[in-house]
Amino acid sequence: MLKVNKLTKHFGGLVAVNEVDLHIDSSEIVGLIGPNGAGKSTLFNLINGFLKPTSGEVFFEGMDITGFKAHDVSHLGIDQSFQASTLFQRLSVLDNVFIGYHMRYKTKYWKRLLRTPSALKEERAFRKDALEILTFMGLQKLRDEQAENLSHGHQKILGVCMALATKPKLLLLDEPVAGMSPTETETMIELIRKIQEKGLTIVVVEHDMKVIMSLCDRIVVLNYGRKLMEGSPNEVLKSDEVIEAYLGKAEI
Amino acid sequence: MLSLAGQLIIEGLGIGLVYVLLAAGLVLILNIPRVFFIAYGQFYMLGAYILWGGTVLFKLPFFISLILSILATGILGAISYRLIFYYIQNVRDNFLPIIVAAMGLMMIMQQGALLVFGTSSHGMQSEFPGLIEFGDIIVSVEKLVLIILALLVTGILYVLLQKTKIGRAMRAVSFRADISSLQGINPTLVYMVTMGVGCALSGFAGGIMAPVYAVSPDMGGIILTVLLVIMLGGMGSMLGAVLGGLILGLTLSFGHYFIGADLAQIALFLVIGIILFFKPGGLLGNPGEDLSS
Amino acid sequence: MTSPYKRIIGLTVLTFILAMVPLIVKSPYYMHLLIMVGMNAMLAMTFILMLRAGLISLGIAAFWGIGAYVSALLALRLDLSFWMAMPLSAIITGAVALCIGCVLVKNPGFGFIIETVVLGEIAVLAFAHLPLFGGYKGIVSIPPVDPIHIPFLFSIEFVSKTASYYLILFLFLLVAIGYSAFYSAWTGRAWLAIGLNPRLAESKGVNIYRYRLLAFVVGSAGAGLAGSFYAHYYGAIAPTTFNVFKTIYIHIFAILGGVGFPVLGPIIGAFIMILVPEVLRVAKEIEPIITGLLLILLVLFLPQGLLSLLSRRKKNARPVG
Ligand SMILES: Nc1ncnc2c1ncn2[C@@H]1O[C@H](COP(=O)(O)OP(=O)(O)O)[C@@H](O)[C@H]1O
Ligand SMILES: [Mg+2]
Repeated sequence: MLKVNKLTKHFGGLVAVNEVDLHIDSSEIVGLIGPNGAGKSTLFNLINGFLKPTSGEVFFEGMDITGFKAHDVSHLGIDQSFQASTLFQRLSVLDNVFIGYHMRYKTKYWKRLLRTPSALKEERAFRKDALEILTFMGLQKLRDEQAENLSHGHQKILGVCMALATKPKLLLLDEPVAGMSPTETETMIELIRKIQEKGLTIVVVEHDMKVIMSLCDRIVVLNYGRKLMEGSPNEVLKSDEVIEAYLGKAEI
Repeated sequence: MLSLAGQLIIEGLGIGLVYVLLAAGLVLILNIPRVFFIAYGQFYMLGAYILWGGTVLFKLPFFISLILSILATGILGAISYRLIFYYIQNVRDNFLPIIVAAMGLMMIMQQGALLVFGTSSHGMQSEFPGLIEFGDIIVSVEKLVLIILALLVTGILYVLLQKTKIGRAMRAVSFRADISSLQGINPTLVYMVTMGVGCALSGFAGGIMAPVYAVSPDMGGIILTVLLVIMLGGMGSMLGAVLGGLILGLTLSFGHYFIGADLAQIALFLVIGIILFFKPGGLLGNPGEDLSS
Repeated sequence: MTSPYKRIIGLTVLTFILAMVPLIVKSPYYMHLLIMVGMNAMLAMTFILMLRAGLISLGIAAFWGIGAYVSALLALRLDLSFWMAMPLSAIITGAVALCIGCVLVKNPGFGFIIETVVLGEIAVLAFAHLPLFGGYKGIVSIPPVDPIHIPFLFSIEFVSKTASYYLILFLFLLVAIGYSAFYSAWTGRAWLAIGLNPRLAESKGVNIYRYRLLAFVVGSAGAGLAGSFYAHYYGAIAPTTFNVFKTIYIHIFAILGGVGFPVLGPIIGAFIMILVPEVLRVAKEIEPIITGLLLILLVLFLPQGLLSLLSRRKKNARPVG
């Protein structure tokens, strides 16, 4: 589904992502781990079009999407939730989700401007769908709250709701449980599972190994921008290299 | 022919270097405290008035007046940061409030000058009369002093930014404020110093230009040309400011001579338009890089 | 987002109140000031529209000027009536904005602001130097607004201040309704999203370039319309009217009322800024100083504008939208 070839990103002198190869099959959940600064978020941003790679290629469903604009990538079916809970702070929860429907409008633009019945009908349908997503993720009660008033955990969940609204085929989750309490973490794990059952492919970056172990079929380890290793959760956890990468970092 | 070219180059260098200083100061303010400081031109005006007042009204020596210009504008700039921008800088969506506050400051300074000094412009006698000949090229001493002073200040600025602790702190803050505060740098102090240095550059430029052009309250309009220089050079780049200022000075001085002042202005816009068409972020800017976000 | 129905009710009530004003105010001088309030409120409305999409334009006055010059030239050179020249000038202003905007909106933020400042300066220089625009003296004896004759029914002449007041009220409402249609359609939400967090909006599939361009064109066309009215109402235009300082005042009108209130905010802001100094007879010399101080205080203590004082009492009041 997703194939990444020798992807590289330089920030000035710093090589944040260095010749990374990656392939993700349909309906997989893949974990992406590595110490802070390893280049995980940067890799995500290279895939979803926020950053232009210095070199290398990205293929999605066989199509070369290297260097595409973020909104084009989003149209093709890749969306993500961000590491920092990135929301439209001053919009309501429902409106936040609503933005994701942007590209699916079928009615003509002038009809929407004049609010003709067909445009209103479409808007109602989207609204219903957005509410369904909120219900699915357990946020329906908060739909009229302003996003900035939500708790940290709810903001993170809203981030995932917003990603779901664009109906992605591939969902990138950047540290979805960072800063959450253990019970919130449990909820999030359940939600991610439910999302996968709907047939989405998921790549998740996470430091919480419990999350990775309980969700992922396969783990990719990054360190200093390079792919250190790749394998099943058990293989990876036993690997000396990985332990060293983490411990080495911890000692500093 | 050669002597004409030399003459025009010196002419262009003189005005160009003043724009280099002005643009460099504003680039600092735009990049470090990230204030869209539209009152910048009024500091230029203030610097010029202080020099004029010092030398003509109080009969102080030129250099003492010039130092007063620098100090007064610098201190005022730093204070304006602490009293106004400090409070809005960390607000979310601070972009518009910052511009608006700067507009307010601009209006106060502009009208204040009008009230205090009146609408008429004040010429002043050249402090450095006389001409010097270099072969065929004849240069007024005044212009030469201007060029030397501008070069001197550019050098000081370079040393300040590259070699001193506060300069390194300024560059660190412009890179990322959150990281630098971890390294024990106090961003507020850095911002104040930057505003001070930037405004002092503007005041200094006003001071050395005061004997060249007449001093008047509408001198603040120079901000438009300074912005043009920054646009030409590239938003985030000091070197771009230098390059932009020199290109502007030379285009104006050659244009002035060959096609006249009005056409020179239009030619300038054409030159800039062409450059920006091929390099949308300016000569040394990066178009994808947006300082505001 | 305010619901469209609330918007419609609000606009109706507002129209009614504003339409009553000439019944109370008789002095032509005050009527003239109110007409200026209307026109400046229109300009402030265009500023707020662009601001929604994250564009802070310092070139509004230039587009206002383009509308004024185009309309004047259409009337003088091509003998078009005001009723033809006005929509045409708005369209032409929009077209100019489209051409320029293609390049400008690519890098918003500081880059965009600087470019609009410079653009405004170029426009003033062009007005002042190109013979077509009449040089520094500008264009004079622009024909006034043509009367409307409807055979056998009535005819309206635009000689009295009251008639001009109703004309600017009509134009103001036209723009307000047009802009409200954008706000309550999909576009409004996209603009808000872009203004709040462009990168996030982009990642949700919003083409930020196209939406920003749309805001720039629609906003500038509105300014062009105001320019057309200005040219025919005054009968004479000169280049320096359209400089950056005018734009700064436009910003003030919008911010004083509150940028979160796209129709009412500009009216309140322009009303206060134009009428209060007149009524209090503030000396012209110190007026800018007071205004400048006011601006700084406003930004420090009431950044959402005067109207936010009222809406703050409501629970869940949203400063934007
Ligand atoms: N926009 C940027 N400009 C410069 N350096 C960056 C930028 N984004 C990330 N980096 C650097 O790239 C490296 C990788 O960062 P990141 O991808 O965020 O790591 P991770 O998500 O694995 O913690 C870090 O050293 C970081 O400082
Ligand atoms: Mg990260």
